[in-house]
Amino acid sequence: MTVSVETRRSRVTVYAKSTAPSLTPVKPGKTHEFTALDHSMSRHSVHLVCYYRQAPTVTMTALKESLCDVLSYYPAMTGRLVKNEGDGCGEWMVKCNDAGVRMVDARADTTLDEFLATATDEEERQLAYWEDVGSDPYLWSPYCIQFTDFKDGSMAVGISCTHFHADPTCVAVFSRAWSETHRRALVTCPPFFHPWAFYPRKNPVPSSPHLSEKSTIPPPLHPPAMSSVTFAFSASSVRQCLADLQLSNLSPFDALASLLWLRISSYKSASLGTAQLTLAVDCRRRMSAPLPLGFYGNALHFFGVKADLSSGWSHIASELNCHVSGIKEDDVWSSVEWLHERSKEKAFQMYGPELTCLAWDNVPVYNAEFSPGAIPVHVGCRIGNAQGEGLVVIMAGAPGEGEEARTVIVTLPTDLTAQIYRDEAILKYGPKIMFSPNI
Amino acid sequence: MANEPLPPFSSSVRLKYVKLGYQYLVNHILTFILIPIIVGISIELARVGPDEILSLLRFLNDLDLIYVMSTLFLVIIVGTVYFMSRPRPVYLVDYACFRPKPNFRVPFSTFLEHARLVPQFDERTVRFQVKILERSGLGEETCLPPANHYIPPTCSMAAARSEAELVIFSAIDELLNKTGMRPKNIDILIVNCSLFSPTPSLSAMIVNKYKLRSNILSFNLSGMGCSAGLISLDLARDLLQAHGNSNALVVSTEIITPNYYLGKERAMLLPNCLFRMGAAAVLLSNCRRERSRAKYRLTHVVRTHKGADDAAYRCVFQEQDSEGLTGINLSKDLMAIAGDALKSNITTMGPLVLPASEQLLFLFSLIARKVFKAKWKPYIPDFRLAFEHFCIHAGGRAVIDELQKNLQLSDQHVEASRMALHRFGNTSSSSLWYELNYIESKGRMKKGDRVWMIGFGSGFKCNSAVWKCLKTIKTPVDGPWSTSIHRYPVDVPAVVKVL
Repeated sequence: MTVSVETRRSRVTVYAKSTAPSLTPVKPGKTHEFTALDHSMSRHSVHLVCYYRQAPTVTMTALKESLCDVLSYYPAMTGRLVKNEGDGCGEWMVKCNDAGVRMVDARADTTLDEFLATATDEEERQLAYWEDVGSDPYLWSPYCIQFTDFKDGSMAVGISCTHFHADPTCVAVFSRAWSETHRRALVTCPPFFHPWAFYPRKNPVPSSPHLSEKSTIPPPLHPPAMSSVTFAFSASSVRQCLADLQLSNLSPFDALASLLWLRISSYKSASLGTAQLTLAVDCRRRMSAPLPLGFYGNALHFFGVKADLSSGWSHIASELNCHVSGIKEDDVWSSVEWLHERSKEKAFQMYGPELTCLAWDNVPVYNAEFSPGAIPVHVGCRIGNAQGEGLVVIMAGAPGEGEEARTVIVTLPTDLTAQIYRDEAILKYGPKIMFSPNI
Repeated sequence: MANEPLPPFSSSVRLKYVKLGYQYLVNHILTFILIPIIVGISIELARVGPDEILSLLRFLNDLDLIYVMSTLFLVIIVGTVYFMSRPRPVYLVDYACFRPKPNFRVPFSTFLEHARLVPQFDERTVRFQVKILERSGLGEETCLPPANHYIPPTCSMAAARSEAELVIFSAIDELLNKTGMRPKNIDILIVNCSLFSPTPSLSAMIVNKYKLRSNILSFNLSGMGCSAGLISLDLARDLLQAHGNSNALVVSTEIITPNYYLGKERAMLLPNCLFRMGAAAVLLSNCRRERSRAKYRLTHVVRTHKGADDAAYRCVFQEQDSEGLTGINLSKDLMAIAGDALKSNITTMGPLVLPASEQLLFLFSLIARKVFKAKWKPYIPDFRLAFEHFCIHAGGRAVIDELQKNLQLSDQHVEASRMALHRFGNTSSSSLWYELNYIESKGRMKKGDRVWMIGFGSGFKCNSAVWKCLKTIKTPVDGPWSTSIHRYPVDVPAVVKVL
């Protein structure tokens, strides 16, 4: 935390912890194995927070009941981590022992609108309760669901889980399935458990220069304190960005990612030169045998993009566009096979320590309607343990703001965050600033 | 005793037919005596001829009118006195059990995890609880109230009241729906809940919710243990004798929320592992018009209290442990005392329900052992001749095993108890009703069947009730077993590995 004026006391209070079982008992002996990608992500956690307006069917009791209902489809979520003693590999896997997921009850001393307008980064973090694995992984629930009641009857639902089990897309699809179960509608994307999805090909070509480089970076001795800020860009702001770039067939992601990359780098060092940005892209649909959206597990592909930052914003944007659209399936497979080869070794940090960007705007996140027609007012997503130079998460914005609207969550070392949310170049486009650090 | 040893099969077959023949002879002795008399009279009448009969009738005509009228009045008076002094019949119109929602269920792994995460339990305590759970005979679908799902359990009075409202009101709502009984027509209300006794009582809570009449006779029994359901039935029966044309609502339940033991005393941890959420509401009536739709008639209730014996009095004892935490201490000789109480109970029950054949055998065996000092084993009457169905309180696997052994019952007879224990856990006084519902849901209840309900409770008490079925219950039955009956019976292993 920075040394500054007195920090405001948090308005969020957690008051109870319980466990939700699934409605139907799990058959004894069921297990779920992890892929190489899952193992590689084990150091991180995913936190998704959805905010809902007051509605008669959206109450803590009703949500807890429908949570138990939807958990019947996700036996892997209610299981616990054990070491796979079976075929002697000693890796972690899930024993589906029907233990349930952790639930946390909380209340916020304010109304939803006031919270969205004035809450700090610290307060938003408190809407998704998370406990790291303690001394006994068998007693540790890999998922934690927090229900926060606001003064005006609105509700925030925070789903936290270990990145080992699921990537952000998986969590978003789960929340959608949960909302459909709550409304007693058909579950459109039922979970697809297929640990062999990323099993190496017959003739593996394990190679990932980017990841090999990352694995050799030693973890920083004193990781800096990080804080976040959220920029909510409306469709008109994004269109303005794209207009300013004066290039055709650029996506909102290209525009925003390149803008932020440029601005963050300009604060880090006075002179700009060639720099590298790590990108994480969901590759469920990019495989030639595409995985369904309901695929349970990790399907993020990490790769590096080099660009000369001094050659201007447009150049950077077009470089990003080139790389993202030009992802080859072979590269994905090579990367997976490389990870598979070293899966027995300790996992290294995937998000960071260098500047990383998660391209998540192609995944719909505002479709978890617990009450018919009532989509979330706002959705935020954070990644845990992404210390280092920073992480930028670009996700879809609220549908009410337009199709091109985007929400950008920037996590940087605290002093950089303070500068970035006052940056003129970004503020020029008039994004709404939410959850800024407590300064 | 044959001189040469017979092969075992044919000797047992021979014995079986001897027993059957003996039973038919003794139980229908009156028929056997009457038939020759009837045959004799018919032959005599046939022999005598019509003239003699007519002369007999003319003789009767010559009698004075006064004698005839007096005889007639005497017959009428005796008949009236007899019918008026008979006890009023008590009919069970219908009953309903609380159906726990599956989101309250407690899988073994969750139970173990919570036991480990709650700071008050140490490793030894957790291992003991796991051992109990593994051998308990419970399944993965038993339910605990919402307060017990928190870490640590939130055992407040408000939570206990809300559990009471949840279980009791949903059972009574279902019962009123099924029977179409209007709450204003309920004359007697008896509630039994052993471990939770707020002020105002749970019966007052029911009167308030359903707006019962101001002159209702309401009773609330607390502290009477798991056999309190049968005590309530006995009380209802006595009240229905005193008040004619009345309806009685009996509610049996046990509220778990305030009684979670958070200490280290091993003898007090058993209730944590075995007790689960449940309630039953029963509608009794002595109105003649309910006879046509009533399911059962209460024929006998026998209550036995062994509290005079110190060991029996202390065997289920609620007290504070060395750290000041309150829990229910179950002593090691619980099974022996239960067996003893059962013997007392069946000694009283036997003459009321057993057929004459069994009673004679028991009498002969008793005389031989006491008077002639023969070294025979005490004869255990075969209760399977007296009852078609048995509902044994699902106190735990040990209780059911002990009773099965003592009464020499087959596995099918105790199936209802074992399966109710597996599906619902030990729901205390309401477990008998879940078991009865199991038998009905399986389509085994036919008109004329007799059911024996046995309950055990702290004190130490052993109570029995005998019901006679008035109409065959057709399947499918809408009750707590509706969603799961097709999966039962299951084979419950002796030890279920939790870890």
